[in-house]
Amino acid sequence: MPHLEIHNLTVSYEKNQPTLEQFSLDVEQGELLSLLGPSGCGKTTTLRSVAGFIRPDAGQILINDRDYTQLPPNRRDIGLVFQSYALFPHLTVFNNVAFGLRMRRIPKKEIHDRVTNALEMVGLDAFTKRRPAQLSGGQQQRVALARATVIEPQVLLLDEPLSNLDAKLRVDMRQEIRRLQQQLGITTLYVTHDQVEAMSISDRVVVMNQGKIEQIGTPESIFAAPETVFVADFMGFDNHFNAAVVSVQDRKLTVDWGGAPIELRWRSKFGSPQRGARAEIFFRADNASLLAGPEASGLVGQVILHTFHGNELRYLVETEIGEFSIMQDSASERFEPGAAVTVQPQPQKWIAIFEETEPYA
Amino acid sequence: MIRRPNQTRTIILLVAPAFVVVLVFFVLPLIFLLSQSVTPKEGGYTLTGYVDFFQSPVSRIVYLRTLKLGLIVTGICVLMSYPAAFVLARMPARRRTFLMSLVILPLMTNAVARTFAWLIILGRRGMVNQTLLSLEVVEEPVRFIFTETAIVLGLTQLFLPLMVLPLVSAMENIPDDVLEAARSLGANRLTTFLRIVVPMSSDGLVLGATLVFTGSVTAFVTPAILGGARLLLMSTLLRQEAVIVFDQHAAAVVAVVMILTTLAVNLLLRLLRVRQV
Amino acid sequence: MVSRWMYISLVILYGFLLGPFVIIFMASFGANATMAFPPQGFTLDWFARVFETSQFVDSFWISLQLALLSTIVSLVMGMPVAYALVRFQFAASGLVETVFSAPILVPGLVIGFAMLNFFVLLGKMPVMTGLFIGHTAILFPYSVRVISASLRNLDPYVEDAAVSLGANRLRGFLLVVLPNMQAGIAAAFVLGFITSFNNVPVSLFLSGPGVTTLPVSMLSYMEYYFDPTIAALSTLLVAFTVVLVQTAERVLGLSQFV
Repeated sequence: MPHLEIHNLTVSYEKNQPTLEQFSLDVEQGELLSLLGPSGCGKTTTLRSVAGFIRPDAGQILINDRDYTQLPPNRRDIGLVFQSYALFPHLTVFNNVAFGLRMRRIPKKEIHDRVTNALEMVGLDAFTKRRPAQLSGGQQQRVALARATVIEPQVLLLDEPLSNLDAKLRVDMRQEIRRLQQQLGITTLYVTHDQVEAMSISDRVVVMNQGKIEQIGTPESIFAAPETVFVADFMGFDNHFNAAVVSVQDRKLTVDWGGAPIELRWRSKFGSPQRGARAEIFFRADNASLLAGPEASGLVGQVILHTFHGNELRYLVETEIGEFSIMQDSASERFEPGAAVTVQPQPQKWIAIFEETEPYA
Repeated sequence: MIRRPNQTRTIILLVAPAFVVVLVFFVLPLIFLLSQSVTPKEGGYTLTGYVDFFQSPVSRIVYLRTLKLGLIVTGICVLMSYPAAFVLARMPARRRTFLMSLVILPLMTNAVARTFAWLIILGRRGMVNQTLLSLEVVEEPVRFIFTETAIVLGLTQLFLPLMVLPLVSAMENIPDDVLEAARSLGANRLTTFLRIVVPMSSDGLVLGATLVFTGSVTAFVTPAILGGARLLLMSTLLRQEAVIVFDQHAAAVVAVVMILTTLAVNLLLRLLRVRQV
Repeated sequence: MVSRWMYISLVILYGFLLGPFVIIFMASFGANATMAFPPQGFTLDWFARVFETSQFVDSFWISLQLALLSTIVSLVMGMPVAYALVRFQFAASGLVETVFSAPILVPGLVIGFAMLNFFVLLGKMPVMTGLFIGHTAILFPYSVRVISASLRNLDPYVEDAAVSLGANRLRGFLLVVLPNMQAGIAAAFVLGFITSFNNVPVSLFLSGPGVTTLPVSMLSYMEYYFDPTIAALSTLLVAFTVVLVQTAERVLGLSQFV
């Protein structure tokens, strides 16, 4: 039985323009699940519905098989970490963390012990008397985490918790959150728009777009095998072209690449594609390489420019089927703008996606 | 701002009580005033009160004088405030805070006290006359009180802070970089001021002008002390009609004309601000 | 960018703004009752005269009561409005804002006149009630504006945080929002108090027999007497304002709300 269940949730801010439509999701006990998507995709709405700040038009939210849908937010037993941290500016770190326990009328002695323990876990036991304004961004984030977890909530919700931190701190805090979550074994819903963050921290990832789930799966499966054009785009597949299917086997299909056939994996939401259908093909910049001069087989192109990225050089290559961005080791042979090259594919890492309902011949 | 569905009830609960109070205790008396202005003693509804107001030379002169003095005061305030506000906006924060509190101080002192000073300065035996007499520029004391000059001086002193404050806050938002960019592109100081600072602070100027002008054309204390019955403005005319002539109908007409004038100026200058955005 | 002639403009501005205060100050200590300039001699008689003039003492108490009462009422009623305007977006918010800022747009003298006719002459209300209504109405816009400004400085999500931790909406407001609005409320209070205490136009028509505010009684005193008593009283009021405003500025940063 899943720990948190969302059934057919529908939320609209304006009439007949649902932000979430028939949205369903199960989260297992102790799992960290990320809701990933661009702004306006409904991920924060989902989170705020679970927290109880949004009363859905339809649907159900269950925790431990108990119906939470009509419960007001202050009686839900849910820990919430806000993007802005939302610390209470007039209270000390200790009193911020103690707030939820005081609302639960926990005895004073126990409050003291639990707050001290929670602050120790996030490494802030020396800061109990400070005010939020006297803390750095990372420290404020830790206070917010301690405040949300000290009440031992059923479910922990994090809303873009790292977006106000600088890049280096973000990586540290990511690990810290993951460590704390696993230590407490707490069921967690994590909202982010950053795919790297979602990949690194989650047990499972839900990619959302326009109030609907595009794909759900482990970080590895989503990274390697996007099921829709949207997910492929969002997962950072740099290159994209359109080609006719030459032949279809069971799990693979063949398309033409500069006169040579290449074999690709495919994904379709509408059954097996037919010969002659157009496939949307995606690949990453590091899943192809460049060879000098035109080769007998493979796609020929011309280097337009290159940019330096430390260990790698990124080339922009113009071919007859479009421009591609290709990463090469900077130690390998260097091509100057204007040079003729052949684009050598690694098709086992490429993917063909079909989104048309009627694959046309 | 947080978006929440189903919030209408909460909003109504929060706003309704005060809203009703304002309607009953503020809007209703004004509606009554409006109705008074169209119901003369003889009874019936008529706009003759307004026609009389603009036809009678006395009230027309008062109205035009009020507008004229308002414009003059606004103009003087702009000229006095613009360069000074620029200096203030470019100052280190601590010194600026101190100087700004000196600008706010007069605003927080009652108008009677502030206008009283002008009696000492401009009176028959006041500062200016004593100086003129001792320098033998004049042989007899000059009459300054009950002149337009006195009213303009008093109003300017009264409303100057209302021009300085919005100008300074508008100019604070102009980054130093922009001014340096203008200089690096070949503009001299005056050109930079006129072509960069002035347009970028025009919002503050329009707001300040609105406040100073509407303040000047409706102020009572200054024209009452420095203009008296000899040099009436709209506000002192209203008082005279209501208390001395005791013609509530005519007084209501004056009052409504004052409201309409203020609203028109506010609307006009607000449109000006919107157009610029 | 700042050139010398601009500094000269600063000197002129401050001379003009503050010069009259210097003159009032000097006149209030001068021994000569006709206030010829420069003042001759030194005396504190005029200050004594202020306290001996019952007209001033009585109206001072009325102004004080009126300012306290109308400020508090306008704050209590303005706070929920400010909260709704800052925390929610709704279709009628433009209308609400306009209605609550209307008392600034209508000339004070006209407000006083309209209220005299409606409440006192037509409704036979006591003079003090009329004054109270008038002052509360003109303070509304300030209360709503200053409290809105202080609410805007507070992260709206702190309330949700309190609720997610188990507080209901009302407790969340009392425990988390209100303590963080103290400075804003205090600033609104000082501003409202001063505005009411100094007001002439609204009080002018609404003052009645025996019930007159201090500025209005200063004005009527000046119609009959021209001596340094008013200067002495003005000096006292300026001193009072300076202390009040400087304290408020030091403690609350008042100027950010004006």
